[in-house]
Amino acid sequence: MRKHLIFALALALSTLLLAVTASAQAPGPNGAGVGPSATTRSIGSTVTDFTLVDVNGAEQSLAKLKGEKGTVLIFISARCPVVKAYNERMEQLAKEYKAKGINFVGINSNSSEPLDEVKAHASAHYTFPVLIDKGNKIADRLGAEHTPEVYFLDANNRLVYRGRIDNNRDQSLVSKRELTDALDAVLTGKVVAVTETAAVGCSIRRVE
Amino acid sequence: MKRSNSQCALLCTALFLSLILTGRQAIFAQEVAPSKQNSVKTAAPATLKPLEIDLEGLKKILQRDKSSPHPLLLNFWATWCDPCREEFPDLLKIEADYRKRNLDFVAVSFDFSEDVQTAVPEFFKQVKADVTPYWLNIPDPEPAIKMVDPNWTGGIPTTFLFDASGNLVFKHTGRVHAAELRAAIDKMLNATR
Repeated sequence: MRKHLIFALALALSTLLLAVTASAQAPGPNGAGVGPSATTRSIGSTVTDFTLVDVNGAEQSLAKLKGEKGTVLIFISARCPVVKAYNERMEQLAKEYKAKGINFVGINSNSSEPLDEVKAHASAHYTFPVLIDKGNKIADRLGAEHTPEVYFLDANNRLVYRGRIDNNRDQSLVSKRELTDALDAVLTGKVVAVTETAAVGCSIRRVE
Repeated sequence: MKRSNSQCALLCTALFLSLILTGRQAIFAQEVAPSKQNSVKTAAPATLKPLEIDLEGLKKILQRDKSSPHPLLLNFWATWCDPCREEFPDLLKIEADYRKRNLDFVAVSFDFSEDVQTAVPEFFKQVKADVTPYWLNIPDPEPAIKMVDPNWTGGIPTTFLFDASGNLVFKHTGRVHAAELRAAIDKMLNATR
């Protein structure tokens, strides 16, 4: 009788202690609501092929658009003033690096921007293709949160750099050019020194 | 036999309760540990002119008042950002509703230097904001972004909720859902009560 009671109490005690420990470890203060809205793609991981429609309605894929030596995916917006400030720089870089084997691809994941507006913006500013990411599937896959935001993949579609183009919206004040540093490093077989950066940009308007 | 059983039950219950209480105290101690920070006041502004801050100013906002730390609702925005403007009235309403419960609200603008002095006061007037407009003026915002949250990549609007101990309890990039934010605030306030 006594043994049974002790056993029962010990069992109850350990069960409750386990519950307390679990509640301390469960998402508490840093739980729900914290963290990126999408899973962030880690540096070195491979981006598998995807298919999206471009602004002209033609089906495109990463396999079809990738450069021989690498691919720069840039999340853009037709409305964001930060993107607007970078339009010329993006186009210049795209032309310069296409000649070196690295292709630029624009991706618009904003659910709030109609196709005709995105198309007009793309044809006015870029010669590189712009894809429509309906339902922000690719933004979610890569963990893209804002525009302009760059994902640079090497020849094997491995992510080697993510973040900003450079460190200032005002081109005359730029002192760090992390994207071109990464592009040049890959082209010359060097290690990319800075692999992740942050910058102020317009959050991507995801589908509700 | 009966007696020894009741003694054992009493002893075990006491042991169990003391273990539970010790555990809970440790958790609470961690949650309400005073922060080592300075003070930032968020009283109604005398002017709508944006208060310019640098990295140090942002650090002070994050550190808050070490003598009486309050939970902090921190929003990064700009007048050129559509979802930022859209969500702002919701944030003001939340600020008004939770002010009595010691929730501090700080809105930090990333407006461009060329129009911050006109665009921000104009917008604050339009939405009848009675909080201090802060303007982060630094050439490279990356250190500021990383100081607030190493996992934030800089998209705005982004709204952060820190509890009185400085723990990040809620974060949202993009237009915040008022109901979700209110639920997070309630949960935080009830947890530290």
